[in-house]
Parts: sequence; C-alpha cells; structure tokens
Amino acid sequence: MITLTNVTKTYKRGANDEVVALRDVTVEVGKGEFVFVVGPSGSGKSTLMKLLTCEQAPDEGEVWVAGKNLRTLRSWKVPALRREIGFVFQDFKLLGTKNVRENVAFAMEVIGRSRREIERRVPEVLELVGIEEKAGALPHELSGGQQQRVSIARAFVNDPGILLCDEPTGNLDPTTSVGIMKLLDRINRTGTTVLMATHDQHIVDSMRRRVIELEDGVVVRDQSRGVYGYAG
Amino acid sequence: MSARWRYILTEAFVGLRRNLMMTVAVVLSVTVSLTLLGASLLLSEQVDLATDEWVDKVEVTIFLCDGRTCPAITPEQEQALRRELEAEPIVEEVFYESKQEAYERFTELFRNQPSLIETVDPDILPASFRVKLVDPDQFMVIAAQFAAFPGVEEIIDQQEVLEQFLRFTSIVRNAALVVAAIQLVAAGVLIANTIRVAAFARREQTSVMKLVGANNWYIRLPFVLEGVLAGVLGALLSWGLLYGSVPAITDRLAEDIELMPFISSPEVLAVGPLLIGAGAGIAAFSSIVALRRFLDV
Repeated sequence: MITLTNVTKTYKRGANDEVVALRDVTVEVGKGEFVFVVGPSGSGKSTLMKLLTCEQAPDEGEVWVAGKNLRTLRSWKVPALRREIGFVFQDFKLLGTKNVRENVAFAMEVIGRSRREIERRVPEVLELVGIEEKAGALPHELSGGQQQRVSIARAFVNDPGILLCDEPTGNLDPTTSVGIMKLLDRINRTGTTVLMATHDQHIVDSMRRRVIELEDGVVVRDQSRGVYGYAG
Repeated sequence: MSARWRYILTEAFVGLRRNLMMTVAVVLSVTVSLTLLGASLLLSEQVDLATDEWVDKVEVTIFLCDGRTCPAITPEQEQALRRELEAEPIVEEVFYESKQEAYERFTELFRNQPSLIETVDPDILPASFRVKLVDPDQFMVIAAQFAAFPGVEEIIDQQEVLEQFLRFTSIVRNAALVVAAIQLVAAGVLIANTIRVAAFARREQTSVMKLVGANNWYIRLPFVLEGVLAGVLGALLSWGLLYGSVPAITDRLAEDIELMPFISSPEVLAVGPLLIGAGAGIAAFSSIVALRRFLDV
C-alpha cells in the first residue's frame, strides 16, 4: 500500500543551512496494517506524512502510494491520489461555519459525489464514529474528542484505502484518546491501512501494533507488535 | 443546476459580498478603463464613418454650377470639362455624380439623422466631378487649371480636409487607448490582489478541499468567477455610461455640424459584447495568475 525506498528529504533554510528531515528511509506498509510512527519532534514524522500526500517531493528515493509512483505522478492526478487517503490532524481542521453533517458532507461534495450518495453515506459514517446525535452542532459546540470524531468521519467518508493520522490524540485527554483509538482500530478492521504519527506512549504501548521509530530522519526501529520505547 | 455548480456560484457571490469594498474598487476601475477603451473604439468608428469609402478614393471634388450662385453649367461645358480632365496626365480617373446620386449618397451617409435629410431635396445638392489623381499632392495643378473653367463652382481638396481630420482624431484616439491600457493594467492588478485576499480568507476551506482530493479547477473556479463577475459588472457599467453619453453628444454634434455623419446608439450598442469580453478576459487572466502560486498543490 505504501512503499518508501531510500528516501531522503532536506529543507533549505539558507544558502549553506540545510536540515535533513529524512535520511535514506526505506519503509513498506502492507494493505490493512496499523502502523505507529513515533519519535521526538523534528524526527521527520510530519515530513513522512507530507511525502505520502504529495505535499512535498523527496530529493532522493521513490515513494509509492496506492500503486502510484509519486515521482512520476502528474500534478493534475494528485487529487485522485488524495481521494485514496483520509487525513486526521491534531487540530481537527474542521470548518467553523459548517455543522457536523455539513463538514462531513463537504468532503463528498467537493469531489462531485451526488446528493443522493451524500444523503445515504453521511449518516452512516456519523453513526460509525458515534457522533450522529450531534449532527446539527457547530464544531465549537463540541468537545475535543467529539471534534476529532467528526474529523475522522470526514476522513473516512469517501472510503479511502489509507488513513493518515498526524497526532490525532495530541490535544485530547487520556480517556478521550482511548475512545479515538478504539474508533481508529474499528476503521482499521474494515481493511483500511492506518498510519499514525504520535507521541503518546500509553496508546502505543496498549495497542501493541507495528511501530516505526524515527530519530533525526533515520529509521532506528521497525518492530511489529512494538511499544513506544525500546523494550522486548 | 448540479450541486457542484451551485457550490461554485454560491462561493463566488459570498466572496464578492464579504469583500464589498474591494469589489467596489475593482468594478469602478474596470468601468473607467473599459469606458475609455469603448470611447476610443467608438472614435475609430466615427472616423471610419466620416472617411466613408468614396471620400477615401476621391481626392478632388469639382462642384458644378447649378444656377443658384453662378450661371448653371451647360451640357457642352460639362462635356468639355470632362474631356479636359480626362486628357490630363496627372488625372487617373473621373467620376460624374449627378444631383440625384449626390442626394442618394447624402441620405445614405446621414441615415442616422432623418431630420437633416428632410431639409434637403435632390435639387439643392450640386452635381460634381470627382477626380482621382495619380499623385494626390498635385491638387494645386488641378485647382489652378480648372478653377476659372466655365460652370465650375468650387474645387475642394478632400485629401487635405481628410488628413487634418484624421491627424486630429488619431491623436485623441491613441491618447484614450494609452490611458485605457494603463487603467486596464491597474484594474488587472487590483483584481489579482482582491482574489488573493479572497483566497487567503478562505484558506482553511481550500486546504480541506485539497486534502480530500477536490480537483484544482473546482477549488479555483469560485475565485476566478468572483473576479470575472466583478469584471463583467464593470463592463456593463461602462457600456451603460457610453450608451447614456455618446449618442447624446454625437446627436448634438450632428445638429451643429451638418456635413458630417455621426455614430449613434446602434454603434454604441455594438461595442457592448466587446467590452464585456474584455472585462471578463482581463478579470479571468488576473485571477488565474493570482491563484497560480497561492493554490498550488
């Protein structure tokens, strides 16, 4: 589903000032896997995510996502790639002027789904994430956990093969986070590949899924059924 | 209307309303530039109309006496005049225009001013020889030679009249075009800036759209349409301004200057599509340029 081969990415900050975000990273994620990407801030987690969505291009190496080689992908085909990927962010990125139902429907509207499809699918997804009774509420009327459920609903509504989550529990308290993780787990069980960047040690330790650890842009650990820190 | 088009149109109108001050500035600057553009186009048409084909071809007009200001020319004198003219090596061609033909041309020329036509009947207009010269500058030769010819009322160098008129109008028209062009560039920059502000105001929505895989044109079209709507509105206003002012001016002029045909409402109406096209075009171009960097994937 996702393959990175010898990927290097540097950012230029000045004439002689380069920051290496990823260095010779090779990672393969199969269909239906649940993968944590861990590491301290600045270790390259976000850059990795951005490479997968074509927001950034690697300096070296190749990135394949959903059967597409992103190096050769024409820019007008990027939207099609992004329809295969759902995004969940730490700060939810919900539209404040739209209510819950409209926020989720928006993701279908803007890729040209029919009104009938939208009316059928949106309630279904709101129910899946357990937010159906708040369908008419505006984002600011919801708790953080509820907002994150809406953003997961929006990410999942178009049936993407991959769900990319960038610190989805970063703004949530531990109890709420557990609920969100259960939801992501349920989505994973539908066959969706989930890639989640996180700092949250408890979550990683309790889930016991594959862990890829980055440090200064280098993969220092890739372990199935791993925990956050080094352990057995 | 499909859901997609409803979205695009709603967004465009919302953008215009939210940004009312900028929209007003854009519309007004487009109006000013296109009014100038339209005015210079109409001036060109006016010139074309006045330098109607026959004037262009004939450099010298020899009006023949019809008995009102001088003794009427006799058929013999007319024959003799024609023979002499045709014998001149510097003369290329000689046309004869009878009183009836002169009247017909007059009515055609002043079809927009029926009141003027009413005051004229075929008898008033003199018959004439219209002479085309091999070298238009040799008017003086003809004038000197035939001014005293029996039955000749007056000899006019139309080339000279025409050139003075053309010199003057082309200066005015070019000045208007230059100002219109500068103003149009300013309007374009203003539109680009407005669209950039609009895109910035809706950057959250735009970034969500990009992430869920909306097509680029679908993201951009509301902004482009916003610019185009403002451009078209400005074009319509300038059309209205021209329609309200130009016929009023030219109709007045037509009353004062009897011997020149003037453009009127139909000609002003005809420039409308062009103004709208120019307004929409400059707006679309500026908007697309403004969005190219801002909304890149």
